[in-house]
Amino acid sequence: MWQKTTAIVIGFYILALLQNSFFAYFNILGAVPNLVFALFFCFAFFSSPAKFFSGVIPLAFLSGFLLDFFSSTLLGASVVLLIIIGFLVKRTQLLLKEGRDSYPFVYFVVLFLAYFVLYQVLFMLYLRFIDPMHISLIFDIKFLIATIYSLVFSIIGFWGFKNNVRKI
Amino acid sequence: MKASKKFSINKKNNNLIKFLIGAIALLFLLFIINFFVSPIENYFYTISYPIQKVFWVAGESSSTFLGSLIKAGSLAKEVENLKIENEKLLSRLALLQSTEEGAEAQNQISAFCQNNGFKFVMAGVVGLEDNDVLSINKGSVDGISENMPVVNQQNVLVGKIFKVYKNFSKIMLISSKDSVINVKVQKGDDSEEIDGVVKGIGGLRAYLDLIPISNNIEAEDVLVTSAIEKAFPKDLLVGKIISKQKDDQNPFQQAQISLFFDIKASDNLFVITNYKR
Repeated sequence: MWQKTTAIVIGFYILALLQNSFFAYFNILGAVPNLVFALFFCFAFFSSPAKFFSGVIPLAFLSGFLLDFFSSTLLGASVVLLIIIGFLVKRTQLLLKEGRDSYPFVYFVVLFLAYFVLYQVLFMLYLRFIDPMHISLIFDIKFLIATIYSLVFSIIGFWGFKNNVRKI
Repeated sequence: MKASKKFSINKKNNNLIKFLIGAIALLFLLFIINFFVSPIENYFYTISYPIQKVFWVAGESSSTFLGSLIKAGSLAKEVENLKIENEKLLSRLALLQSTEEGAEAQNQISAFCQNNGFKFVMAGVVGLEDNDVLSINKGSVDGISENMPVVNQQNVLVGKIFKVYKNFSKIMLISSKDSVINVKVQKGDDSEEIDGVVKGIGGLRAYLDLIPISNNIEAEDVLVTSAIEKAFPKDLLVGKIISKQKDDQNPFQQAQISLFFDIKASDNLFVITNYKR
């Protein structure tokens, strides 16, 4: 169990560093993929609803703090937002009727897009109203590229998780 | 039936109370943590620095390698060299023009600092964050404090320090949405000085604004920091005009610009530590 936890912590940490250093050289109009959010979303999507408190919330803390360390804002904003996102993902999955496939690809893509945009909007609203930097709420080409860029990596994560869903 | 309903309501209330207690505890915890944010973040960056530097260098090598593949062989390197050469030449041009105007200037960062009596601290770039913020590996122990200007060795303006930790600092790039700087358009001939402002729009991009409609600006015109700029020394290279947008109903014209500062060619930056306006 502790090996799995350590691997997850190291995985999130490495992705956070990659997203802020390695991918800086692969930015498209300044946009880099949000790898931490993509991995968090994969975990939230594939974890069972019973593991919300023991799985999703600790991961929201971990990924939220990592995102906040690299976002020049108060610590904790992303933690709160990711807990909300994780909760909504599980609720939405329960509302969607399950067919033969418990984790349909289409659901994943639609939910990822919806919640990634929601996360960005909530974070920008938070910055606008709470943070002294007052960054404006703008849906520009960078926002679009960041969303698509992150979606590409989340889809890679989706197939990785889907093939190992019983181990989660 | 009644008992079951009562039990259900109680269970609902219990869940609500648990949720409220949890939410308050979470917010309280996050509130407390923010009192210690500076040492926590400094500790985090100190631990992460060696790995992050490795990734930064790996990213640089990979992008150069992939860029070379895409651009067939050594074309990318050649373009990069030409770009640096071009910046040096533009820097020399700025020097010559400002000398004509009776001002002291420079063609390299050391000369620039010597002429102006500036002291600088060389810092390595560690990472790029969202909102056009760069992290560097020098902090308050190295004499860095907020609002200090940051340039590269080609005398190109990068931005200013906006957050300082013990061993690390964060630079707000001139492309940040919160950045507005006074510039002058440097034309090849001896025509009158044209003043304007460069406003950041994020995504490592910016645009030129507030150029009076009567002034003639052209593509390839070079932008340097103006003498009326308070946050930065004058005559630092900023960028060049790509295309202008002129509307006769608007008293000012705007222009798309290309910033000289390139994230991919900025391993080392220079923080001017004693600039005061």
